[in-house]
Amino acid sequence: MGAQGYLIRKVLYALLTLLFVLVFNFILFRIMPSDPVELLARSQRLTEVDQQNLREELGLCVPPEGSTKCSFLNQLKTLPTYLQQTITGHLGRSLSSANTVVNEISSRLWPTVLLVGLGTILSVTFGLMIGIKGGWNRGSTFDTSSLYGGMVFYSMPEGWLGMLLLIVFAGTLGWFPSGGYQSAEDQTGLAHIVDVANHLFLPLLTLTLGYIGEYAIIMRSSLLEVMNDDFVQTARAKGVQDRLVRRHHAVPNAILPTFTLIFLSFGFVLGGAIIVETVFSWPGIGLLTYDAIQELDYPLIQGIFLLLSATVIVFNLIADVTYGYIDPRIREA
Amino acid sequence: MKMTRKSVAIAISIVMVGGLALSGNAMAQDATETPADEKVTLNVGLDSDVTSLNPYNLCCGPDYEYLGLVYDISMDWSREDLTAAPGFVQSWTPNADSTEWTLKIAEGATWHDGEPVTAEDVAFSFQLVADNAMPFYKDYLPFEPTFEVVDDTTVLWTSKEPTFAPEVPAYIPIVPEHIWGEFVVEDDPSATRKAVKEFANEEAVGSGPFILDEYIKGQFMRLEANPDYWGPKPASLDEIVFTFYQSQEAMVQALKSGEIDYAYGLNPSLYNSLKGEANIAQRAGDGGCWGNFAWNFGGQGPKANADPTIHDLTFRQAVATGIDRQEIIDKVYQGTATMGYSVLMPGRNGSWYADIPQELRFDYDAAAANTMLDEAGYTDTDGDGIRNGEEGENLDLELLVISDVNGSVDTGKLLQGYLSDMQIDSFLTTVNTTKAYDLWAIGQYDAYVWDWCPDPDPDFMMSVFTTEQCLGWSDGCYSNPAYDELYDLQQTQLDRADREATIDEMQLMLAEEIPTMVLNYWSDLSAYRTDRFDPATWSRTPNNDAGVYLFGATLDSYFTLEPLSDAAASSSSPGLPAWIWIVGIGAVAVIGVGIVLARRKGPDEDDA
Repeated sequence: MGAQGYLIRKVLYALLTLLFVLVFNFILFRIMPSDPVELLARSQRLTEVDQQNLREELGLCVPPEGSTKCSFLNQLKTLPTYLQQTITGHLGRSLSSANTVVNEISSRLWPTVLLVGLGTILSVTFGLMIGIKGGWNRGSTFDTSSLYGGMVFYSMPEGWLGMLLLIVFAGTLGWFPSGGYQSAEDQTGLAHIVDVANHLFLPLLTLTLGYIGEYAIIMRSSLLEVMNDDFVQTARAKGVQDRLVRRHHAVPNAILPTFTLIFLSFGFVLGGAIIVETVFSWPGIGLLTYDAIQELDYPLIQGIFLLLSATVIVFNLIADVTYGYIDPRIREA
Repeated sequence: MKMTRKSVAIAISIVMVGGLALSGNAMAQDATETPADEKVTLNVGLDSDVTSLNPYNLCCGPDYEYLGLVYDISMDWSREDLTAAPGFVQSWTPNADSTEWTLKIAEGATWHDGEPVTAEDVAFSFQLVADNAMPFYKDYLPFEPTFEVVDDTTVLWTSKEPTFAPEVPAYIPIVPEHIWGEFVVEDDPSATRKAVKEFANEEAVGSGPFILDEYIKGQFMRLEANPDYWGPKPASLDEIVFTFYQSQEAMVQALKSGEIDYAYGLNPSLYNSLKGEANIAQRAGDGGCWGNFAWNFGGQGPKANADPTIHDLTFRQAVATGIDRQEIIDKVYQGTATMGYSVLMPGRNGSWYADIPQELRFDYDAAAANTMLDEAGYTDTDGDGIRNGEEGENLDLELLVISDVNGSVDTGKLLQGYLSDMQIDSFLTTVNTTKAYDLWAIGQYDAYVWDWCPDPDPDFMMSVFTTEQCLGWSDGCYSNPAYDELYDLQQTQLDRADREATIDEMQLMLAEEIPTMVLNYWSDLSAYRTDRFDPATWSRTPNNDAGVYLFGATLDSYFTLEPLSDAAASSSSPGLPAWIWIVGIGAVAVIGVGIVLARRKGPDEDDA
């Protein structure tokens, strides 16, 4: 099968997975023991009429007369409405804020992309650089210290690391703000950008330190495997300079396994970083997820779940396609 | 060739870094010299956001601070005992049988959008709540009242029954009819409620002493003093900023670094950790809330736990005797809570509070508790170490504890120990508040550890224990016809002394019957910086030793606070100056470019 067939096959798989996620999402949130409308009815003292209106608005099944619950079959009848609403971008209204789910999520996208996206880029860049340098000079002081350092940060709970940085750099030294995305002062232009950068620094440092080890360790072990392969030995036997063997022969082959990991990581960028965002009150998708779960805000949880699944599927697809392009053996498999 | 390329890269690097440093320094000066620094701003840290900007969707503590600052609410509170005092409604005069009350409103008030506040707006605000049973507010307006405009500053409140309701300060906001009127659907309360509650109200036009300037959900709310306010103006504050933190630890760090001036609602361990910190003082006021251990009597429906043992008064009194409330105060609240016995509180409810006599306090006595259980017939008949009930079943209790309620989980753990000492089995179900509402509504618990925060007027708190409130506000569907009669009676008693006597009797009845056990009175734990505002200019609500500085019924501190003469006008957000950022990012970029250029392979590097 050629490159085109490979691409079509992968896209079809991705679409099928997305459809499965949509249906799974529908079923999952309807077999929950708590009925979202009943929950709201209690906390906001809704009358029967209010509840019925809300069910219709949320596209939920309205229980038949004389019953308080909908059977699963009755709920299934609302599946086409759900699919139609979801595909057309109508994800409903958040129960806790009365805002639409689309608005709630979109207002949190940029902070999350900024923090987690930048954190992923930095940790991937530095992680790969450290892994390559350490692996190529196996057993050196740099290798040992970077390996153990990476392990320590990787195994450290992010929340704890964040709290430590917060106490030292915000509370004690007063160099950075203690949380949030921006200060309440009315700022524009460069002052605003600097303000956001100052707020971003500590959570970004936490994320970068936390993930650098993961990439460094995987890159290092992948490089170590390749280093003993015949083609590397051949290059060396031909008298190619050591650094050129590394750059042109070893690294391009060793980097392949880390590709999937990197793309998957980018797939999870939109999911945010729940713990770091909570510690630093960073208004991203992670914090939104945490709040939505705390408040059992089902429409919002459903929306976030859908977004997260869709981005992971899309990035997986990109990884598959890129992988196939970089390594033709995959396409032929 | 290679040397040339490297030299060029280095030269470019030097020029770029130097240039960036110079331009960055200049821009940094622009960025830091902002005129906003002239304003006097009070920065208050909170560990929760306001629920909504829509005054009809509010529910909890900080919400009412926002409501009172941005909107006028009907009345003010007496600083001495939190009874009604003239505020926006400046006088309230009843007719002979208290079915008609004449309300005189403040003159010269304007909405934040410049329109005048009229008597029509006031009548509309009350009628909107009364006609459409707006949740949380409707109970302030009993007996289907109507509100009629008499003249520009007079509104007539007509009630179908004699009532003292107009004398109770209600948290009902006065809202502009020209904004909210469009949501009213004639003769359709449900549609009206839906439309009103769905309005985001992002501009929040009120007539209160502060104007909403900017609000970013989950981040901060900035309010500006209203120069056209009809009442007294703040002594010095130009702005109030509420900053919302997801973790209390971060909020405390912000207080230490001077980002905020006041940290509200601290947990006991963080509060105690601030003792002796430079330029920080602690404030423990009367929190206006009490921890409760409530029994479920099981009237919620077929799924409800309906343990007959709980209906046995001796059992409830024995368990109360076996609970060491002082230990809970010492260990869970680290000494910051105080012992309490009545559902009303001396600070919050003033003269409505009744002192509970010694014999109804059920002070801790583990031996006495076991004797009471033995004598009531709850003995261990099967020798498994757990007492048995009438049918021979083991006595075991499902305790619901709530992770986001102050001290609930830790109190639950101690309660398990006390119950074990009484040979009663128990297990804890830990949930968050939302889930707790879920389990509460179907009655799936035997007892829970939650809290109550009474209004200054006792009506609401006493209503909670009436039969009618099962699945309304009731903890666990407690029902006592004698209590219900007293509740109805006090609603009709227009003479304060008569009503006080009835309220006293009800408090004693609850202390004896223990539908809920008062575990302790909480303190409101806050900390503030002493190097920006003159500590002597904080005001207390109520005006006594236990009064709170902020988040009490009144807003006095915002009006009395004055900065110290040698302090900065506003605490500012810390961070690196712009030039360091520019130089740093520039240097990284330049070094990166340099490395790439230097490593580009030349023709002599080919590996073939």
